[in-house]
Amino acid sequence: MPDRPSMGRVRTFTRLLGFLAPYKVGSILSVVFALLAMIGTVAIPAISGRAIDAATAGDRSALTNWIWALAAAALARWILTVARREIAGRVSLGVERDLRRGFMTHLQSLELAYFEGSRTGQMMSRATVDLAAVRFFLGYGLIFMVQSALTIILSAIAMIWINPALAVQALAPVPFVVWIARRYGIRARPSLQEVQQRVGELTSEAEESISGVRVVRAFAREDRQRERFAHSAERVFAQSMDATKLRAFYNPLIGFLPQIGLVLVLLVGGRQVINGNLTIGEFTAFYVYVLALLGPMRILGTSLGMAQRAIASGARLFEVLDREPRIVAAEHPIPLPDGPGHIELHDVSLQFERASVDAVSGLDLEIAGGQVVAIVGPTGSGKSAVAALISRLYDPTGGEVRLEGVDLRDLDPIALRREIAVVDDAPFLFTASIRDNIAYARPDATDEEVVLAAQRAQIHATIVGMDQGYATQIGERGLTLSGGQRQRLAIARALIAQPRVLVLDDATAAVDATTELALVEGLRDAVSGRTALLITNRPATLALADEIVVLDHGHVVDRGTATALRERCELFRDLTDLGAEYAPSLALAAREVEGL
Amino acid sequence: MSGDGSPRMAPLPEPPPKREARERGAGRRDIRRRLEATRGGGAKLRRLGVLLRPYRGRTIAMFIALIAATLASLAPGPLVKHAIDDGIRAGNLGVLYLVVGLFVVSALLVWLGTAVQTYLVSWVGQRVLQDLRIQIFDHLQKLPVAFYERKRTGVLISRLTNDVQALDTLVSDAVVTLFQSTLTLLGAAVILFVYDPGLALLSFTVLPFVVIGSVVFRIASADAYRRTRETIGALTAELQETLSGVRVVRAFGREDRHEQRFAELNEENRSANMTTVHLNAAYFPAVEFTSALATLLVLAVGGVQVVQGETTVGVLVLFMATLGSFFDPIQQLSQLYTTYQSGMAALDKIFELLDEPVELDDAKDAVELPHVAGRLTLEGVSFRYSPQTPWALQDVDVELEAGKTLALVGATGAGKSTLAKLLARFYDPTEGAVLVDGHDLRSVTQHSLRSQLGIVPQEPFLFSGTIGENLRFGAPDAPDDVVLAALDAVGAKAFVLELPQGLNAEIGERGVQLSGGQRQLLAFARALLSDPRMLILDEATAAVDPRSERQIEQALHTLMRGRTVVVIAHRLSTIRNADQIAVLDGGRITERGTHEELVAAGGMYADLDASWRSQGVGSAGIAPEPPEPPVAAPGSASADA
Repeated sequence: MPDRPSMGRVRTFTRLLGFLAPYKVGSILSVVFALLAMIGTVAIPAISGRAIDAATAGDRSALTNWIWALAAAALARWILTVARREIAGRVSLGVERDLRRGFMTHLQSLELAYFEGSRTGQMMSRATVDLAAVRFFLGYGLIFMVQSALTIILSAIAMIWINPALAVQALAPVPFVVWIARRYGIRARPSLQEVQQRVGELTSEAEESISGVRVVRAFAREDRQRERFAHSAERVFAQSMDATKLRAFYNPLIGFLPQIGLVLVLLVGGRQVINGNLTIGEFTAFYVYVLALLGPMRILGTSLGMAQRAIASGARLFEVLDREPRIVAAEHPIPLPDGPGHIELHDVSLQFERASVDAVSGLDLEIAGGQVVAIVGPTGSGKSAVAALISRLYDPTGGEVRLEGVDLRDLDPIALRREIAVVDDAPFLFTASIRDNIAYARPDATDEEVVLAAQRAQIHATIVGMDQGYATQIGERGLTLSGGQRQRLAIARALIAQPRVLVLDDATAAVDATTELALVEGLRDAVSGRTALLITNRPATLALADEIVVLDHGHVVDRGTATALRERCELFRDLTDLGAEYAPSLALAAREVEGL
Repeated sequence: MSGDGSPRMAPLPEPPPKREARERGAGRRDIRRRLEATRGGGAKLRRLGVLLRPYRGRTIAMFIALIAATLASLAPGPLVKHAIDDGIRAGNLGVLYLVVGLFVVSALLVWLGTAVQTYLVSWVGQRVLQDLRIQIFDHLQKLPVAFYERKRTGVLISRLTNDVQALDTLVSDAVVTLFQSTLTLLGAAVILFVYDPGLALLSFTVLPFVVIGSVVFRIASADAYRRTRETIGALTAELQETLSGVRVVRAFGREDRHEQRFAELNEENRSANMTTVHLNAAYFPAVEFTSALATLLVLAVGGVQVVQGETTVGVLVLFMATLGSFFDPIQQLSQLYTTYQSGMAALDKIFELLDEPVELDDAKDAVELPHVAGRLTLEGVSFRYSPQTPWALQDVDVELEAGKTLALVGATGAGKSTLAKLLARFYDPTEGAVLVDGHDLRSVTQHSLRSQLGIVPQEPFLFSGTIGENLRFGAPDAPDDVVLAALDAVGAKAFVLELPQGLNAEIGERGVQLSGGQRQLLAFARALLSDPRMLILDEATAAVDPRSERQIEQALHTLMRGRTVVVIAHRLSTIRNADQIAVLDGGRITERGTHEELVAAGGMYADLDASWRSQGVGSAGIAPEPPEPPVAAPGSASADA
């Protein structure tokens, strides 16, 4: 863990403790019970020592009394420990739940731009690894730390009470053990993480060889793949051994050091017994104390390492939790007026975070309600930015976007988005049945509505052809769909939302030419009476548009009908001229079934 | 090592339950199945043991260290006994020093032994697992392509990762625990018996409770931990989905639903965890109490015996110190079963994969295919994927002269791809033969065949790594200028050189993002570099952007020049320019000839050609007024690229 300024660490630590605030009573009770139980624990060796003295002295009644005391201490400890575990468990699980929920709720409030780029992996690791580190520490680490420290302190007090000089010698290894155990925890972790990292590399290596098996076979390069895989396996081995070396060094050392304490008790204490300065019972008590401290010493060290990790993780969590959402609902949102879906962009500019130039600048665009407008433009011309602005996934950096004449920022974003359905070129589908995916926006949609949407999106026949039809599971753990199938499913999902405005952002890019023609027909029915924005360069889809806007470098270059634009706009011709001749009726190969 | 009645810390209340069966959890309660699983375990373990053979020396050293460390760790009990009785109580300093000396020696032995054993166990275990990984990988490489069509990538990968990992626990943890715990348990029992049989029997009376309690706890907590794992898995998956799909969630304004679902799963996870809290609270303090109870019994009875002079104080302390070595092993051994079970399940799956037959291994007498001209012949080829499925190809005869192009035309399922796969020898024909320059493909080595055969799949697969590495996939030694010439030939040189790192630009997740068209061009250049005599080409069906489309057509032309080409064609230009067109229908070649011949013949091809022309999806670009969907019949209209 890289060292952060210690003030920050203390602050993070205090903030982490803040999560315990709602469970104040439980937290205090657990500490109190732990303390009481530890008193029992610490009393047991002392009482045993007295019992041995009594036995040595031949005092049977004293022996009996001490035995009863021992039984009482053991019983009390049992009850207290059970209570402590129940209470502490409840507290820690409560904290865990709150933490997770708070994190999730906060993520939902952040604007989409926050998630752009490759942040999903990072967010996942915060939500899993970091959250686990924090909750482990708050739930268990803290109580272990308190308990172990208490055991050591109470034992030390008991030992000092019996014989201060011997106590100091017997306890001498304690700080070293704690320090070394903590050091081990800190050093082992990055090493073990690196093992995981390398197992991950090995996994991707295997994944490539398996997914690319046809290419490997086709080029007869099995030897290369084997060499690479063997190299990855060797790297896993080397790193595992690195972690092992740490373990082989620290673990036995942590086990050995307390033995020095035992040796000192035997040697020094034994001589004192012979000299008559220590009773045999006290000697035994000392011996048993040192034995009993082995566990707490190690655990204290480990929990200190845990605390350090939790603080680092906590800092990463707070980084997210402290990030204010940038797109927020207006305090008193204006209810979205009824209307046909009239959209206006006035002098709109948008600059994406981390981008140096505006995606669109000074853009004016008006789409009358019920009109179908297409946007054509080369990659990077700002086409998709328009789609994101209309559904207020982004706020413009300049100018304003209006729906039915109301600035989007004055509307409730969720109410707005329910009226505007966007389909992009690489639509995400949820791990759920096909039906649930289509009915995402309206889970209560009837089967007829689902089928109608699927038919219009030209995906119904494909679905019916599947073994389980609409109940087929898709997504990460289900059936894999081709790009075109995903896009058509996403279109069906958008249609069922019955939005006022439908935005198709390159949503037919992976659909083959034949199907596209059919799809356009299906969409013709679906968009009638709605405002639709089609972002595409594909001629077949463009045929749906009442008007086409040509965009380049964030500016409108030209607008008009397809025929007019083909006449006068070179960029338009260049973008939409298909050059290659297609044999659409042959292009029926479903890639996942056939193909090399 | 810890003394009895000591506050033995329970392990962290979330012990690593990863050890137990990942997929076989359902059968946990099913005793019969368990016994069955145990049976035959020996044979499997022996097979695993074979992997140990190369490391015999280290394995033996490992066991020696393990035994030495374990035995030495039992020494303190008796040593303390003698220190008290013969040294301290007898007032004999010499004996005390001797005992202390021995104590130090035993502690050093434990230190050294543990260090050596930790290192060697891990070394041997990791070595064996990596060997096993490579063995699995090698086997995967030999399995026919057909195998990959049956199995999902994720499943195969998990054989190499998760299942091997599950074995790791079995090999390193379980073996050590089994040995160490059993040895400690037996050693402690022997020591106690030797020094005082009566007290030993007395302290053993608590054992049944601990054993039964441990077993019950293990079984109950295995279920509970499985539930916590399942619920946390569901929670993570939900979060992953919500994050990956954040665009959709926001676009449809469905945050509330996801939040609600997340809260439900979160609560389920909490309640599953609560069960483990109850179980742990019931178990660990109880073990602690039982162990205190054993001390108490020993002290009560032994104390009276000391009073009566029947036993010594040293024996009492010995008991107090050694009883601890008794409870820990029982707890640890009770965990073993689940580890064993999951390890065996993983082993089953791994062996099942390793036992998968390598159907298309080279024939024993396979020869190197000499340098060929590229004449392709199919003689009465019929093929079906399995005896249960219908024929995919029937009585197909093809004669393609070297350097000529054959275009395969037909609807989905007509057998075009199957034919191409037979040519690449991804499958062997069920009947008939595939020949190159008169050599039956089955009689030559796969390596020598494929080094003269190029395959360009519909969807170009590029490996992660640099562009240069990808291009050189089939020709590792090609110098930069040759690579660049190939790029130039397919018209991809410009965009590659525009990248900041040129040929060394990384592609894939962390590198540059390539468009579909660019990927195709790179795949063409890769094929061009390996300069095959014969080329099997599967044209992409989905259109890329129009500019790239023109480049691709150009590149294809370059790539096909001077080679024998079999192309699954989707472009009209490709089809029209082919030397031979074969129309496939239902696994048979129904028509063959040149474009002109087939149009003149007025068969199925002529119909198709007419329909393409009527659709007007030609060079004019925009399809004027989209006609009725050309294939309106349900089932076909939906199939897309």
